[in-house]
Amino acid sequence: MANENTAKSGHQKTAAGRRLSKIMFNDYMNLHQKAGEGAFVVWMAIVVPAELFSGFENVVYGVPESHAAMSAGKGVGPLQCEKAEKMGYSMDLCSYARIDLGTAFDGGKDSPTMGLPKPHLIVSNNNNCSLLVKWFDIYHRTWGVPHFILDVPFCYEPQNARDLDYIVTQYRDLIRTIENLSGQTFNIERVREALENTRDALANWKRFLKTAASRPAGLTAFDSFVQMAPYLTSRGTKTLADHYRLLAEEAEDNIAKGIYPVPNERYRLLWDNIAPWHQLSRMSSRLASLDVNLISASYTYCIGTVEGELDLFAYDGGDPLVYLARMQNSSICPHGMSLRFRAMRRAIEDWGVDGVIFASNRSCKVYSIMQMDMLKRVTNELGIPAVMIDVDHADMRKYSEEQSFTRIEALLEVIDARRKEAKLS
Amino acid sequence: MKNIMDNIKRLKDQGRKVIGCFPLYPPLELFHSMGLAPVTLWGLRDSLPRVAESDRHIQPYACSVARRLMEFLLKENSSALDGLFMYNACDTLRNLPEIIDCGLADAGRPPLPIFKMHIPAVPPDQTDSRPYLRASIEGLIGELEKTCNVTFAPDKFRRSVSLYREMRELSKMLFASVADGSMSYGEFSRIVTEGWFIPVEDQLLVLQSALRDNFRKKTKPSPESPRVVVSGILPPPLPMIRDLENAGITVVGNDVASQNRALHYSPPAVDDPAEYYIDFYHHHYPCTTLLHSADRRLPAIRKLVSDTGARGVVFVGEKFCEYEYFEFPYLEQILKEMGIRALLLDISLDDDENTAAYTTRIETFAELMHSTV
Ligand code: SF4
Ligand code: SF4
Repeated sequence: MANENTAKSGHQKTAAGRRLSKIMFNDYMNLHQKAGEGAFVVWMAIVVPAELFSGFENVVYGVPESHAAMSAGKGVGPLQCEKAEKMGYSMDLCSYARIDLGTAFDGGKDSPTMGLPKPHLIVSNNNNCSLLVKWFDIYHRTWGVPHFILDVPFCYEPQNARDLDYIVTQYRDLIRTIENLSGQTFNIERVREALENTRDALANWKRFLKTAASRPAGLTAFDSFVQMAPYLTSRGTKTLADHYRLLAEEAEDNIAKGIYPVPNERYRLLWDNIAPWHQLSRMSSRLASLDVNLISASYTYCIGTVEGELDLFAYDGGDPLVYLARMQNSSICPHGMSLRFRAMRRAIEDWGVDGVIFASNRSCKVYSIMQMDMLKRVTNELGIPAVMIDVDHADMRKYSEEQSFTRIEALLEVIDARRKEAKLS
Repeated sequence: MKNIMDNIKRLKDQGRKVIGCFPLYPPLELFHSMGLAPVTLWGLRDSLPRVAESDRHIQPYACSVARRLMEFLLKENSSALDGLFMYNACDTLRNLPEIIDCGLADAGRPPLPIFKMHIPAVPPDQTDSRPYLRASIEGLIGELEKTCNVTFAPDKFRRSVSLYREMRELSKMLFASVADGSMSYGEFSRIVTEGWFIPVEDQLLVLQSALRDNFRKKTKPSPESPRVVVSGILPPPLPMIRDLENAGITVVGNDVASQNRALHYSPPAVDDPAEYYIDFYHHHYPCTTLLHSADRRLPAIRKLVSDTGARGVVFVGEKFCEYEYFEFPYLEQILKEMGIRALLLDISLDDDENTAAYTTRIETFAELMHSTV
């Protein structure tokens, strides 16, 4: 969010932004330090329920996708990608994977966080995407590190009991695996506590996102992109719960004071796909200069919900493993088109969206291969104009700003034309 | 395309209900035993050069397998099918069922029943996925019985298992004819690919006849001929096979998903389909697409190369297939350590008409191999 001085820039550092930097810095420092002191290190996919690791005394975790996003945001994405490409990895592979392989096999060089400490266990999860399993297999083969695959059935509809039981069985095996490898004992009560923190954090995350409903909106999707980072590295902590409470309060407070990130907001757009990490600043400024606010994104409104919903799916104090298994169906990638469409319809209706930008991302097929029909459904069934632009989330070599903005400007013209028509009629 | 459609039409004329299956390893025996006719929807490459209909639904950075599959279904051909079956595969395919629904609706055609199943991706020594797979198979049988008005019978299942087992064994024998030089790889590829679209009983007749012919003309390849293993999801396109043959290369080992990985293992016949498929998937020949088989894959490739005495491996890369492309650099390294040459040929949809680039690379590869045989 911005204050009055920074309005129009769309995306500036605020108190919450400064606090975020501190949290991220501490998370990575802590990870390296504890690893150096002998903690058991796990590398995990973003949708692995990190709260499980709180059940152990001394297990820390690194998140390659999150690290890759940060690297892209800091401008070293292409450099790390090129290192992977030189090793023979195709440029068509997901840019997160290429950044991570480039970083890991170069010992963390050029990384904003010195990379990640070497893992004792790698945990992948195929419901965000299956390629992640292949990517993590490379470390398993090269370094001989055990690789645990969480196998989560894709959700075309709400999770059934058979799938839920299957996931819980795997969590038990994961816990046993860590106990055996680390010599530590698992304590479910600690997971319960972590889930209470997660519940509070997510409730405030939702509160923060809802400030999109205000006109002008109280946030930009770019704020939500950067602010989701600690959800991946600090899950289950009090720090995260406190941070998201302050974040929501700050957003609401700003609205009360009449401070908006895009004060002359004329176009309220929704973004569909992963954040364009290398463009956050440029894109938000350029959009703001056109009086456009990206008020929401499917990438961040899915956090804390399940299967096509927009509301929080909160921890109810029951069996932590059952809740976490249910939460495997949060995040957008594991959702089929009907579920995604249902959530998008609500976001459009609840928050007053004028148009949708579908960012077609060749790195992330699981997110993108369905967008052509999603676009048609948004246009035909909801009557909302939409465009498709090509954006790789982490490899800026595959992005053309001019081409993208030509299309976005065409979308704005359609919105204008419709408004004119509506006025006339 | 005409052949495929003629075959499907013939099945329909016989009163069979046809189920289009994807991706690579559907439970064919089960469908067959229930009186359904499964056709595996791969091998569409040589019959569908353009994908204009698919392009209205899927971005061009999806692999050609997915785009052709979509094209096939949207080009009126879905009306010849009574249903589709799919299991979880890659990140592209898992989005397809709902895109297919949209495509059919756009074309004003009725929806097709799509049977979906999740095949566990966990290694057996990590998690016991047998109860889950059992429930999935039983669920599928229930759905088929309800939707297609068919019934499951253990004795029929045993019979189907025997037929498919025989088909797999004969296919392997036929490939042995390629390796010993008595049959061209192109001819083998054609026979196996066409087999996916005809009933297993007919497939057996074709294989038996081809084997009889080969037996009569048994010859040995020249000892100077470079010996290679071919690997990939799909076999090389026909022009590439011609290039390999023109360059004097002998294909002595096969790691192509549709020509070996799918045919390699048949469990013994049992009455219980769940037990059968637990065995089938757990012990399946390792494939890049079967995530649980990853640890067995490298030893399998090593063994294939040493058993066949191959001096090179030609990877037919299905462009945009992450499953395959994440493995290439690693495999290349392993092969290098074994003193084996590797050639990676990217095949995208557009490359089928633009074969000159890989002709030169195959010739160079063959020359290098000649100089080291
Ligand atoms: S393909 Fe998509 S979901 Fe998978 S790791 Fe890459 S960005 Fe994430
Ligand atoms: S070739 Fe690869 S990407 Fe294409 S459908 Fe098969 S597994 Fe998926």
